[in-house]
Amino acid sequence: MLSTADLRARKRALKIFWDKFNKLIESIINEEEPLLEIPKRTLANTVYDESRKLLLLGTQKLTRRMFDAHEARKFMQTLLMARIIYEALLNDEYPTIRDLYYRGKHTIVYRDHKGRIREENTWDEQKESDSVIRDLEVLLGLLREEMLILSKEKGKVVGYMRIKSGDDVIDLSKMGHGAYAIESTPDLIEFLDVDAEYVLVIEKDAVFQQLHRIGYWKKHKVILVTSAGQPDRATRRFVRRLNEELKLPVYILTDADPYGWYIYSVFKIGSITLSYESERLATPSARFIGVSMTDIFGDPQKGKKPYLTEKERKHYIIKAKPADIKRAKEIINYKWFQTKQWIKEINLFLSKKAKLEIEALASKGLRFLADKYIPEKIAIKDWIE
Amino acid sequence: MKYMASLETFKSLSPAEFFYRNREIAGFSNPSRALYQAVRELVENALDATETHGILPIIRVYIDRTSNPMHYVVSVEDNGIGVPPQFVPKAFGQVLFSSKYKLRQTRGMFGLGAKMAILYGQLTTGRPVEIITSPVKSKRVYFFKLMIDIKNNRPIVLEKASWSKKKEWHGTIVTIALEGDWGRAKSRIIEYIKRVALVTPYAEILFKGPDNSYFYYPRVTTKLPRPPREVLPHPYGVDLEAFKMLIASTQESRLEDFLVKSFQGVGKRTAQDLLRKIGLPLDKSPKKLSLDEIKVLVEEMKKYERFKPPRADPLSPIGAELIVLGLKQILQPEFVTAITRKPAVYEGHPFIVEVGLAYGGAIESSNEPILYRYANKIPLLYDEKSDVLWKIVNELDWRQYNVSFPAPLAVLIHICSTKIPYKGVGKESIADVPEIEREVRNALREVARKLRSYIQKKQKVEETYRKLTTFVKYLPEVALSLEILSINPETKEKHVDREQLIDKLLKVLSKKISEVKVSRDLINKVIVSIE
Repeated sequence: MLSTADLRARKRALKIFWDKFNKLIESIINEEEPLLEIPKRTLANTVYDESRKLLLLGTQKLTRRMFDAHEARKFMQTLLMARIIYEALLNDEYPTIRDLYYRGKHTIVYRDHKGRIREENTWDEQKESDSVIRDLEVLLGLLREEMLILSKEKGKVVGYMRIKSGDDVIDLSKMGHGAYAIESTPDLIEFLDVDAEYVLVIEKDAVFQQLHRIGYWKKHKVILVTSAGQPDRATRRFVRRLNEELKLPVYILTDADPYGWYIYSVFKIGSITLSYESERLATPSARFIGVSMTDIFGDPQKGKKPYLTEKERKHYIIKAKPADIKRAKEIINYKWFQTKQWIKEINLFLSKKAKLEIEALASKGLRFLADKYIPEKIAIKDWIE
Repeated sequence: MKYMASLETFKSLSPAEFFYRNREIAGFSNPSRALYQAVRELVENALDATETHGILPIIRVYIDRTSNPMHYVVSVEDNGIGVPPQFVPKAFGQVLFSSKYKLRQTRGMFGLGAKMAILYGQLTTGRPVEIITSPVKSKRVYFFKLMIDIKNNRPIVLEKASWSKKKEWHGTIVTIALEGDWGRAKSRIIEYIKRVALVTPYAEILFKGPDNSYFYYPRVTTKLPRPPREVLPHPYGVDLEAFKMLIASTQESRLEDFLVKSFQGVGKRTAQDLLRKIGLPLDKSPKKLSLDEIKVLVEEMKKYERFKPPRADPLSPIGAELIVLGLKQILQPEFVTAITRKPAVYEGHPFIVEVGLAYGGAIESSNEPILYRYANKIPLLYDEKSDVLWKIVNELDWRQYNVSFPAPLAVLIHICSTKIPYKGVGKESIADVPEIEREVRNALREVARKLRSYIQKKQKVEETYRKLTTFVKYLPEVALSLEILSINPETKEKHVDREQLIDKLLKVLSKKISEVKVSRDLINKVIVSIE
């Protein structure tokens, strides 16, 4: 039996599909040229909204015509994908994007204009079918999670909180040494009650486990989340809901390097490739708690002392690679990183050519991380917006 | 005309002896070439005996072996006008007697070639020529066995017979035994027959070789080309010897009248003006002109500018229509076109250029155009690369006409003239004459332009089909998807079915693509399966 939340989501998605594609069918019955107007998913059509601090999809649209030699294949793929997702919704299924790739992949055998027999696959690689799924998301204004499409679960959470998932009530403070895996469809989760001061998102799964085992979240009343690297959509949506619905401040702890900074910005304002989802996935008020360059080297201007001694720096700092430098130079050009604090951070990185992993702070002492570094930084508001 | 001049110097020789000594000139240099040449001469005589007289030709060519492996018997049969029996010995057994000694375009100018073949056969095998002939309207068929008395240039009649006709037939069968080399000549002879058939779609031609190789070209039209009309020579095209012959045969006693009556393009006033300019009396007898006076007259005539241009009446072009038919029949191309240019003149000789072009179909692709050359309807097979026609065809920038080689392209060029400017004695290639070059070039461009627009049109249609295929191959997939997307999530009912959608989509498509018909069976034509 499907849960009520699931059924509700299914019904909503089906209706949106049905409305959209019946318009197309009607236009064909009226012998009009079949076309779909799809918002463009290009960097050029990615807009940074300064006031809302979000990466958003612009207003540009592409017209995908069935009878345009360059668009015909994509048009067919779009309808094929729409049909398989629609069928899955009707049949109460939960396909993954990999399933959708296999379900839609078949071979059209045809005769070309010179009479030669040719074969063509509806799509060859999953890259192609994934791209069509994204087109459908923007066309329908419906995230894939809302179409009940599953993806690998990476994010985990623990804390004093009770949720309802499906028809089960789950207490996130009673997960033992484990943690609750944030489900693919976080919108179907119902928040029942919560007792927490803030949300701490940790890039590294290992550090999350360490803080979990020493009971950091119990002591500080924290909802502890890890994205285990680049955050997936479900984790981002879950964090966003914690912030938006429960009004909990969100702090993000990543490595001190360009990749860490970018993970933070994905949580905060969205990603370039998925800018159309920012409105539902991004948490614009998220704060970068660390590890910052000034945590490592100090900030004489502000009279901030470094958290690491000269000797520790020698030990823990990793020399930045050319790829890191290149990435930093790209990031400094992104509009959303062009704040005084970030420019200072990035320039410090470029001049010192040094990066640091969170694990280094844990090595200095887990207690140092849990009892000094994090609580102190939150207390004195030493974060970057 | 070259031969005539030479003859003067060899007066002591009989013409038969002269031609035998110079047999290379006539193309009998070796057994292989001689066999080819004999076939060619007899076939051309056969065509002249038919089409020139308005008869649709039926020509049969047989080559048989004899007991001597070096000797072959060539027999050519036509349904032509036949030869009156009293003329047979001279027509076949005496060099320089010919019905062709008149100024009009025929295949062999003086009918020498056939006699050369007879002469060659006689000398290599010792066997006589056999002639069976029946003139039109004659009730009898005549049979002759002849040899040529070379020293005295006289026919020797070995046998002679006649019988009454059992069925309605007229024409001539000439049978010659000669030394030949079928093995080496085969491909040339077969190619020759094919090329003759190419420009004579109104003829029925049968060829049978000694190895039972067999080719039959049926008649595909009953339209004959316009036969040539006899005309007087034009003053620009007459040399000293020809002029002397005209004097010898004239009945006129006054120079003025001689010029008016013996030449085309010369009126009374023109003749008077010319003679006054030179200072010759109008009423002088032409027979009394001195050699010097004749020389001056011939030279002055060439310079004189007020003659009417030469007439094209003596020319017999094949005609664009027949060229198209011939190319279609023999080459089976997908595109064919031809053009006959207006008559033009070089050095006082009228000429007409015709160009045909065939593309695609059964023509095999090659790195340069396949060239079919004709002079007065005679196929030219040898010395292709030294021919000005080859030069012109290969100098053309074919890319400008959407042809990129290798390409399946054949070009036919026919030059007809009262005097073909051959290069060298072999008479197998055309010399560089600016007037002819210009005409050929223009004709070639004209047909090439037609080819270009054909290719462009074809490419456009092909492009349309290519586009159409792109759309049609996705149609079933799209229609099926839409059928499923039309399921009402509440009632689970389909609102449309895929067949209805395919029909509608094809309608939309046909509005967009007007060049070709978009119909339902297109789906079955394009889609093989969806797996």
